[in-house]
This record gives sequence, structure tokens and C-alpha cells, in this order.
Amino acid sequence: MSESVFTVPVGPQHPALKEPENITLTLDGEQIVDAKIRLGYVHRGAEKAFENRTYVQNLYLVERVCGICAMAHQLCYANNVEALLGVEAPPRAKYIRTIVAELERIHSHLLWVGVAGHEIGFDTLFMYTWQDREVALDLMERITGNRVLHATNSIGGVRRDITSDMIPQIKKGLAYLGERTKYYKKIALTEKTIAKRAVGVGVLKTQDAIALCAVGPTARASNIKRDVRKYDPYSAYDEIPFDIVTNDGCDVAARILVRIDELEQCARILEYAVDKLPQGPIKVRVPRSVPPGENVSLVEAPRGEDIHYCKSNGSDRPERYKIRAPTLANWASMKKMLIGGSMADVPIVLAAIDPCMSCTDRVAFVDAKSGKTWAWSYEQLKKYAQKRSER
Amino acid sequence: MERELLRHLAKKPATHLYPFEKFEPIEGMRAKIEIDMTKCIGCGTCVFDCPAFALEMIGKGLTCDMKWYPMRCVYCGQCVESCPRNAIRQTYEFTLANTNKEELIYEFKRPKKE
Amino acid sequence: MDIIGLLIFPGLAFLLALAWFYEWLDRKFFARLQNRYGPLYTGSHGLLQPLADFIKLLAKEDIEPTAVDKPLFRGVPILILALPLTALFLIPMSGVNAFVHFEGDLIFTIFIMSLLAIMAFLGGWSSTNRFSTLGGLRAAMQTLGYEVPLAIVLIGPAIVARSLSITKIVEWQVVNGIWMIALAPIGFGITILATLAELEKVPFDIPGAETEIVAGWQTEFSGRKLALMRLALDIELVLAAGLTTALFLGGPSGPIALIPSVVWFLIKSTVVVLILSNLRALFARFKIDQMISGSWKYLVPLAILQIVILQLLLR
Repeated sequence: MSESVFTVPVGPQHPALKEPENITLTLDGEQIVDAKIRLGYVHRGAEKAFENRTYVQNLYLVERVCGICAMAHQLCYANNVEALLGVEAPPRAKYIRTIVAELERIHSHLLWVGVAGHEIGFDTLFMYTWQDREVALDLMERITGNRVLHATNSIGGVRRDITSDMIPQIKKGLAYLGERTKYYKKIALTEKTIAKRAVGVGVLKTQDAIALCAVGPTARASNIKRDVRKYDPYSAYDEIPFDIVTNDGCDVAARILVRIDELEQCARILEYAVDKLPQGPIKVRVPRSVPPGENVSLVEAPRGEDIHYCKSNGSDRPERYKIRAPTLANWASMKKMLIGGSMADVPIVLAAIDPCMSCTDRVAFVDAKSGKTWAWSYEQLKKYAQKRSER
Repeated sequence: MERELLRHLAKKPATHLYPFEKFEPIEGMRAKIEIDMTKCIGCGTCVFDCPAFALEMIGKGLTCDMKWYPMRCVYCGQCVESCPRNAIRQTYEFTLANTNKEELIYEFKRPKKE
Repeated sequence: MDIIGLLIFPGLAFLLALAWFYEWLDRKFFARLQNRYGPLYTGSHGLLQPLADFIKLLAKEDIEPTAVDKPLFRGVPILILALPLTALFLIPMSGVNAFVHFEGDLIFTIFIMSLLAIMAFLGGWSSTNRFSTLGGLRAAMQTLGYEVPLAIVLIGPAIVARSLSITKIVEWQVVNGIWMIALAPIGFGITILATLAELEKVPFDIPGAETEIVAGWQTEFSGRKLALMRLALDIELVLAAGLTTALFLGGPSGPIALIPSVVWFLIKSTVVVLILSNLRALFARFKIDQMISGSWKYLVPLAILQIVILQLLLR
């Protein structure tokens, strides 16, 4: 190793990161030679908190796992509990869930385009996309009552209906967003300074993406054609026609293009759903106690495939609830994408997987040599924390 | 891109100059709750269902009073749905900030029978 | 010794006021291009915002890490403020003559501008922080990129006016009634781009890239030192705008004789500041290797081409 190698910590506090994570880079001049990733700074004990609350209270806890993909998590939870109860939401509720989920995908992708622009120094793009995102947020506030953390699902359906006077506002908003999406696609394709920062940066080849289990737009930008909405449809996705967007660029520019194209597909799904909204009730009555059983449900959150597992024991509280957020699956590919690049690429490569640490952090103890796993009690965790912070 | 920049130069800025500009709440917005104590039967479903433990019953049954903690409340509206008599409704009032912590506990008392 | 001229006009007070006014203008225009307000409440339309920022920073705690190189760390903010102020006295702002002028002051100004880049490197070096070291190295590398084309192109007007004094160049433009930009438009363009690199503004704010290396070479400075450094950056903006105006746009002179010449100077340098703000909003940030290779592949040949054209025109 030459003498000019030194380590730079990116995180846990760093202007490039929206949430804390630690990546210790070993740099040779501006080239990245090695990267070591540590996660776990946002662990909040959510999975334990689920066990102490009833199923109705957990509806609101589960959407606070992540602020940006709140609807996705709540939808996954509602599908989970409905499967355990053996009920199905009525068709109108399924369409309303689809509409809010796609609006959330629009808002999340526009937020991401802005953040990516900010990471490469393009503040103007950041301001423009976040201004257009306000249209999506206003629509969601009109439909559900809140801009983020919509809480529009309930076990057995949705809580609020889309009335006929909301429909013209939705259509107008969609028309505006469609126009702006075309403009952002033009910028992503033709703006030379973006091309210089994004093309050929953070490359993840297709076989690496499959081997490292990448999900979501990160995988679709490496030409892997997988989308939960197609291979395991939930809500109304089996009735609505849309395309899976892939791109074979395998670099950051491909990820930008995949997300902008997904915006177009969202608008298409929304128009179809709003036009073909079936009549009928918006929820069914469900009992408070859930019969014993286990269930796994999947949802395509804006960042990828979101897996929830629930184990019930006949009472009105879940026995065990586990969440595997999409960002956790994408972190494994981070090392491959970073090594060989330069320091200046780190923010945009980090941003390109759209990291959401609030979704990601769960803790499990594994002994690497023997493969044994175990869990700690609250007292053990408290003693460990006190010992570590002793001076 | 330059044309877009110059076009935005001519438009009014998108920033809403709150509180100097009046803010119109969007219909259906979720904010402060109000409990109509003449309809409340003291069943306790709202207290049981609140995910943030923000509602408290003082006393029992038909003579109870209700306490609401706006600092714990997440304004989800589950209590509005859970109430079997529709005694709780959500208003548009969101300017609930206060510098005095004691004032941030709302008590809904039953009207006294004369 | 002309104390009034030194301290008030066109001396210290005028230059400081102009620096704060240009920072306000830059921030306001940049914000309006992005469809937001910019500074709004301090003073009418936010005019006092840069002054308020300066006073606030002066009042903040000045933290000095124990591992820094103390003489350099304390000296860099002072030097980086004093150097552009010195160079500003050589730019004619009111009347054709600058406050101080001598033959060769153009070379002196270019020399001071390259000293500023060395100050950035020293600031990053003395901070002994990984991010500052990276920022200081990037500042030094960026100098390799923009210094050469800038120096070549700035000599162009000197060749035409047959003098290395900024005052004489402005005089030539006034006497002959033609602005240098008409003779050397490529030179004007290269000057604008190189000025963006010198002032560390997007797309060339690589040494101080916020999302990559925190604040680059400015990371460890706080309180009074940071206040002086931010003021120094504003004064550099005045210097760059003033130099461009004097060399390419005819300095403080205009067609209508009744309006005092300082007003013409202000109008022209305001136009230069607005162009710089606009370019700041238009581009994303480059990488350091792209910047240097782009500069040597495109800017240096264009600069040499410009000089060749000027020589041919003079024949």
C-alpha cells in the first residue's frame, strides 16, 4: 500500500446523507480503494413495539417505519392481517389503495430526482422537482387528509372514500405532472453536466445484481425485469395494464432514467384506476382478534420489494412481526458500486439506490463462525449500552 | 434549460409566505379533535384504540370526562372512527403550539346537569 | 495621502458595501431563477441579509482544534481578505484612472488572484482534517486548470491597448469608443468560465463541494475567521466582476455624459454578476479530473486562438 492512502469516514453525520450510516472509505488520492459499511444507527426497536400494541394500533405504527414509503408499509401490513383473518378488501377499496400507492410512488421518485440533483450540485433541479412534488402531496392531502403518513388503510379496506368532486382535481394534477415528467426526462437525457456525473458511474453488472440480491429500480436499471406488482399482484394491479421499466445501462444514469420512466407508468396506472373506479363499499367489518397463523406479504414500495412477516396467536396483538425493507437488500451491492470510483462519485452512488435507513435498521445477533443466532433481553441490552458509554 | 430558468424568473415564487399570507386548509385535513361530551357514553373504545395513548378517561361510564394530549397525538383520526356514537370529530385547527406545557392538555368535561 | 479616497470612496467603505450588495444580488437572482424568494425580511427585500450574516458570524464562538497549524490557520483568513482588497484599488471605478495605477498592474492583479488559490490550499493544509486536506488539494488542482487560460486571455486586451496597465486599457476603450468584448468575444467567454472556477461557484465549486467533502478547505473555520473568509469571497466577486468590466466592457464609461461614471461601472459589473449567477443555476458540478482535462482540452486552445486572432486583427 502506498503512503498516500488514507481513510475518510462518510457518516454517520455527513451533508450527503439524509439518514445516518457509516461508510469508511480508503482513498488513494481521489480513487476509492476499499469501502467498509456499517449500519444500525437508526434502530428504534419497532419490531418489539409491534408486539405490545393491538392490530388496530399497529396500523399507525407500521406506517412510521418510513415517512416516504408509508403507504407501502401500511398496505403490506393490511394485506398481511387480512390474509390471516381470511377476508378480502372490497374492489373499490383495492382501487383506492392502488391510487394512493401510485401517488406515493410519484412523490417518492420526484423527491429522489431532486435529492440526486442536489448531490451532484444541481440545486435548480432540486427546487423544481420538489415544487412539482407539491402537486402530488396536495392530491394526497385531499384524498387522505395528510401529505405523508396517510393512514388511509384500515384492516378490511380503506378509511376514506374518493368522492366525485375529487376526480377533476386528480385529473388536473395528473396532467400537470405528466407534462413535467416529460420535461425532466428531456433534462435527464440531454443535460451534459448530468451525463458527465452519472454515465459510467456506480456500475453494477447484471450478474452482480442477481448475485447480490438487488431489488427495485436499482435492479431494474441493471436489466433485471422483476416487479412485485407483476409476479405477485396485490390490490388492483392484476386488473390494470402497465409495463415494467428496465434499462440496460447498469449505472447511475440508468437508475435516473428508470425512475423517471416509472413516473410515466404511475401516471398511466392512475388514469386507468381513476376512470375505472368500481362502485361499492369501501371496507368490511373485521373482528378484533386474529386466529393463529403465519403470513408473508410483499409489496412494491418505491424503493423495491418490501417483505412483511406476521405471526399471530389468536389474541388481538401480533406475536412476532418482521420487516425486510428494500434498502437492506440493496446495501450489499454498495461496495461493488463504490470501489474503483472517485470520492466525488460517493454522494450520487449512495443516492442512486435511494437509501432509506429508517426502513432498514433491524438487529439480529449472529455468531459468524458457528452460525448460531440468539436474541437479547431488554436488561442485557441496557447493560451493554451502559458499559459501552462508560468513560 | 436556460429558457426554463428565465420562465421561472417571471413567475411569482412558489413559496407560501406563511404566516403573512393567509393559509387555506385543504378540505379533509386532519388536525385538532373535538369531543362532544353530550354524545359520549364512556365506553373507552377511543382510549383503547389510540396508537399514541393520547386519550384518557377520567372516571367511568356515563359520568366520565375526557382528557386529550395534543403533544402525544399523531392526528390519525382512529378515535373518530372507533367511537360508536360519533362523538369525536376532527377540525381544521392546526395552530396548537404553545410555550406553556400546562396549557397543552385539553380537558373535555360533561355539561353539569342542573 | 487621500484618506477619504482610501477609506470611503472608492475605498474600504464603498468596497465593503459593494461586496455585500453583490452577495445579495447573487442570492436573490439565484433564488428567483429557482422560483423562490431568496432573502426577504432583513431590511427591505432582504438587502441587509449579507450584513446580518456577517455580524452573526462575528458573534459566534471561534473554535480552534488543537491539532491545527496555528500561525497558518490564523493567518489565512486575514490574508485572504487583504489580498483582493489590495487588488481592488487597481481597478478604475470612478473616472478613467484607478486609485493606484502603474505600468504592469494587470500582471500584479493576476498574481494576486493566483495567490488566493494558494491561500485556499494553505487553509486546507493547516486544518489537518481529512476533508480539508482533500478540499485544499482540489483547490490546488483546480488552479492548474483555470490559471493558464485565464492569464492568456487577460493579456489579450493588453496586447490590443499596447499597455499592461488596467487604467490604460480602459482609457484605450474610451478613446477609441469600442469595447474589448467586440474584439475578443471568446476571451470574454473564457474569462467568465475561469472566474466561476476561481470564485469556486458551480459548476466549479469542487474544492468546497458540500455533499462530498463537507465544506472542503473551509470546514474547520468558524466564528470570526469564517466571517472574514466569507467576506473575502464576496470581495473576490467584486474583484472578478470589476476586472472583467474594466478589461472587456469599457470600465466606468458610457454614452450619456451626464450620468456619473461610477454608475456605469455599477451597471456593467451588475450585468457580469447576473451572468455568473445564471451560470451557477444552470449546471451541475464537475469532477476534478473532468474539469482539468476539459480546461486543457478546450479552454487553453481557445485562449491561444483568441490571442492569434487579436494579433491578426492588429495587423
